[in-house]
Amino acid sequence: MIKLTKITKSFGRNRVLNGIDLTVEKGEVVAILGPSGSGKTTLLRCINYLEKPNDGEISIDDFIVNCRNPAKKDIHALRRKTAMVFQNYNLFRHKTALENVMEGLVIVKKISRDEARKLSIELLEKVGLGNKLSSYPSQLSGGQQQRVGIARALALNPEVILFDEPTSALDPELVGEVLAVIRKIAKEGITMIIVTHEMGFAQDVANHVVFMDEGVIVEEGHPKHIFNSPKEERTKQFLARITPESAYSI
Amino acid sequence: MTLDFSFIWTAFVKLLPAIPNTLYITVVSVSCGFIIGTIVALSRIYKIPVLNQLGTSYVTFIRGTPMLTHLLLIYFGLPLIIDGLAEKYGWSFNSVSIPMIGFAYISFSITAGAYLAEVIRSGMLAVDKGQLEAAHSIGMTTFQALRRIVFPQAFAAALPNLSNSLIGMLHGSTLAFTVSVVDINAKAQIVAATNWKFFEAYLAAALIFWGLTIVIERITAWLEKRINVYNRGGVA
Ligand SMILES: Nc1ncnc2c1ncn2[C@@H]1O[C@H](COP(=O)(O)OP(=O)(O)OP(=O)(O)O)[C@@H](O)[C@H]1O
Ligand SMILES: [Mg+2]
Repeated sequence: MIKLTKITKSFGRNRVLNGIDLTVEKGEVVAILGPSGSGKTTLLRCINYLEKPNDGEISIDDFIVNCRNPAKKDIHALRRKTAMVFQNYNLFRHKTALENVMEGLVIVKKISRDEARKLSIELLEKVGLGNKLSSYPSQLSGGQQQRVGIARALALNPEVILFDEPTSALDPELVGEVLAVIRKIAKEGITMIIVTHEMGFAQDVANHVVFMDEGVIVEEGHPKHIFNSPKEERTKQFLARITPESAYSI
Repeated sequence: MTLDFSFIWTAFVKLLPAIPNTLYITVVSVSCGFIIGTIVALSRIYKIPVLNQLGTSYVTFIRGTPMLTHLLLIYFGLPLIIDGLAEKYGWSFNSVSIPMIGFAYISFSITAGAYLAEVIRSGMLAVDKGQLEAAHSIGMTTFQALRRIVFPQAFAAALPNLSNSLIGMLHGSTLAFTVSVVDINAKAQIVAATNWKFFEAYLAAALIFWGLTIVIERITAWLEKRINVYNRGGVA
């Protein structure tokens, strides 16, 4: 179980997260929705400390990080329990697809190279890239790169995988293949927190939807409730603006 | 005046034994400079207090003054410091025991360090910030991330400039003759002193420098090809 308590974050005088409380159960797929600038990316980045929260508490099972003055080793431990899939992939440019996935296993988890290779090949096959092991990121399409990114995150066997708009940098015809992979791993019971603008996808894959606006969680709950009978005015307005009629009927 | 071709060849052969001195000075100053430059570049990028300001002053001062001046300052200044300290603390060591080439090593390392600091810094800045974040996100420490992810890419980005610096230091090493180190160029002067065929002797020296420079360029091109496989791509 992942628990965020009163997370706050400011950039200078700009308060971007204003006391976020969120509990994510093991195996849950959480979709975070909200207008641009509402702090979704910042929240995700705080969870693995790519951004340093000003205050609050992050806990994963019994492990607790106090964000007011975290120990360096706690930050490191937190990062080892979480993995991130980036909007613009951020694959290691000088490493092949296989090496990208192996890197964390060999360097962080200290698994033998042979074993790491075996595991990485399995993961790349799982995301449909068994034939691209020795390609460099620059030789892969956006959708393929993002699938390597997902394999890299999976390899670490983290407590939670954080996705920041994993498909928004992709050409429309490549979105499907990445969503299909995420759908597949969602079924395996891996805890995931996904920031997305793909409403249909959120409705269909998530079992917990969070609507954020101006640095706070306005409303959260089961997708059925959030999408079909939102209680808060701001949620209604947002959904009315962003969701094409058809997405309601999926 | 006619060109004495056979003397060019004679001089060429006589210059060969001076090649090691030139190479020692170049290799030592670039290697030490690389270490200094890396420390300075990291201090400046990560804004480490004190080291950052010291590094910035060091780079601007060294790049703002000629390499020959550095050599002369070290040559005349270092003995003053060492002998002063030796006297104060009663060491048996004194500046006379420093070999002449030692002054060249020290001063050119300082020179190279300042130039390489900028080369390394710009190489590191050329690496996308997302690379370090991705490394952190898979649980690497900053040290692991720098060593495994950032430095290799920075090295690839900086390679052409590193090669230029190396060539610059190779050519600059000729200044060592001012502190009586016999490098290729100084040797040419000595060889010509017997018969005044300076032009032939310096032409022979030029050929050797040119050859060494071509070797460096070839190695760079080979490295570039090897390292930059990952940049070729273009399917995406
Ligand atoms: N590094 C930063 N420095 C200063 N301000 C920042 C930084 N990162 C984000 N912000 C600000 O924080 C606010 C929230 O940004 P964030 O990226 O979290 O929004 P978001 O909900 O992910 O938006 P989008 O849907 O457009 O991705 C914005 O006002 C943004 O300008
Ligand atoms: Mg965002």
